[in-house]
Amino acid sequence: MSASSVKSKNPFDRIIDAIEWMAALFVGIVAANIFIAVALRKFFDTSIPDSYDFGRLLLGILIFWGIAATSYRGNHITVDLLWTSASPRMKRYIDVFATSVLMFVVTVQTIMLFDKVALTFRDHVLTYDLNLPTWPFFAVAWMGDVCAVLLIGIRTWRLIFQPQSLEDHPETKINE
Amino acid sequence: MEFSTDAVAVIGFVALFVLMLLRVPVGMAMGLVGVVGYSYIAGMGPALKLVGQTSMRTVTDYTFGVIPMFMLMGAFVSVSGVSRELFRAANAFIGHLRGGLGVATVLACGGFAAICGSSVATAATFSTVAYPEMRRFGYPQSFSAGVIAAGGTLGAMLPPSTVLAVYAILTQQDIGKLFMAGIVPGLLAMSMYVVTIMLIVFFRPEWLPAGEKKSLAERISGLKDVWAPLVLFLFVIGGLYGGFFTPTEAGGVGASGAFLLGVLRGKLDKAGIREALLSATRTSAAVFTVLIGALLFGYFLTITQTPQKLTEILTGLGVGRYGVLGLIMLMYLVLGCLMDAMAMIILTVPIIYPVIIQLGFDPIWFGIIIVMTVELGLIHPPVGMNVFVIKSVVKDVSFMTIFKGVIPFVLTDILRLLILISFPIIALWLPNRL
Repeated sequence: MSASSVKSKNPFDRIIDAIEWMAALFVGIVAANIFIAVALRKFFDTSIPDSYDFGRLLLGILIFWGIAATSYRGNHITVDLLWTSASPRMKRYIDVFATSVLMFVVTVQTIMLFDKVALTFRDHVLTYDLNLPTWPFFAVAWMGDVCAVLLIGIRTWRLIFQPQSLEDHPETKINE
Repeated sequence: MEFSTDAVAVIGFVALFVLMLLRVPVGMAMGLVGVVGYSYIAGMGPALKLVGQTSMRTVTDYTFGVIPMFMLMGAFVSVSGVSRELFRAANAFIGHLRGGLGVATVLACGGFAAICGSSVATAATFSTVAYPEMRRFGYPQSFSAGVIAAGGTLGAMLPPSTVLAVYAILTQQDIGKLFMAGIVPGLLAMSMYVVTIMLIVFFRPEWLPAGEKKSLAERISGLKDVWAPLVLFLFVIGGLYGGFFTPTEAGGVGASGAFLLGVLRGKLDKAGIREALLSATRTSAAVFTVLIGALLFGYFLTITQTPQKLTEILTGLGVGRYGVLGLIMLMYLVLGCLMDAMAMIILTVPIIYPVIIQLGFDPIWFGIIIVMTVELGLIHPPVGMNVFVIKSVVKDVSFMTIFKGVIPFVLTDILRLLILISFPIIALWLPNRL
């Protein structure tokens, strides 16, 4: 990314960067958790309490926050056959349609995930070793999905009314 | 008007392909069609319940942690400049022979792909590392681009391969066994690419001139740089093979090892770490979206009994089990023109796998065959993902020129597929010793 594009970042872009960074940090934490757990088990015959549960719960958080950033950046796996051969105007229509469908699906997912978080809270599901409640982890993961809805909303709005603002940022896949 | 389950299944598939063609993310399209189709048959309540349960269960499944971990390992290795080191080492030993730079590219691609695990990333990386070098010594554009496109496909075959890991999870096979099964076919692929280059040298020696001869000191210096990725590869695969850790742990240890090696060797700075973490996050999120969608779509397939009906149709064709296998592979080659290898595997394996089991094929062997076919889709005309990637990096070469250069390797791949179909033992020998 060029220095000029970095300078031109507005508050929205900074928030999106922060969201992506949060997910990225969790990838590193999950890897470190696994590495330390394996090393402790093999060389010191001990373990991190709840290493397994922490690993999978952090994985959930990183994926939902990652989906939020990926949805905004347009980095999802797509079939671009029709899109690449379309005119610029048609490309925009296709992008608006695809992003609208994405927003609908992620919104439904977010509503239904809330049920899952609430159920985990009601059932008082605990981690295996430390007996910590798992619902806060689920809630943080769910917040990632809420962010995804907001970011897809911003992307849709920008695609319709400010397509230039997405084209200005090379990390957001549009009209490549 | 009430539709039969067969009609719902057909409408579902048509809707899925329309949505995908309209650039709706593959995972979202699968999830949407799956849930709408399921709700039509079983009711809205149960269908919506599946959305929350499946999404959360998938992203918090420890087994799936293997995907971001191996992706992170690949990302750390990529940004540490290992590709350049591998190419330099291979080039130091054989670059002075006719076609030597091409062979060095294949060997370095194989080494890099083994750790990186991504075909597209391998092709993109070597477009900047090996292409300029081959052009500098007068190699034709077509060959230079073609050998990189083909070399890139080694990524999905040599362990640790993310595509093979996903296949193993979807079919409930042992990831370690699948990784082992990929080793001999992967080495066979490298050998056959080398033979292809030697044949080109034999028939058109003027196309692939010799590069410069390196001194003994340069050769040793080249070898000094490649010990780290080799140790990492042996440690991860050895640990997995020896039962020292699970596949997810292998990924986590591999990622941490790649990070430590990169930092200790001074090859990984703050910007590199940032780039690797972001890259692994983006790719993992994209793959998990497809996985969640595929699992939701799987419920739709189950309720419409699509796999069973497809099995009945295909086995009733009277073309024999190899005829059915041929049809399935043809379908993958066509799909390869449309979509990403990972998406293709996740979308189709739940439908095709029951057919393969019914026909009595070995699931591990089929995993190798299907990944090879999907990888062939990355380079064969008219649309090959690796070709597009190379074109995006190397601006001065046309699609037609790259496809021309890829043709000898496509023919080699088809021959390799036929060999592996005829002799399943090539893939199964190593995992059977586990």
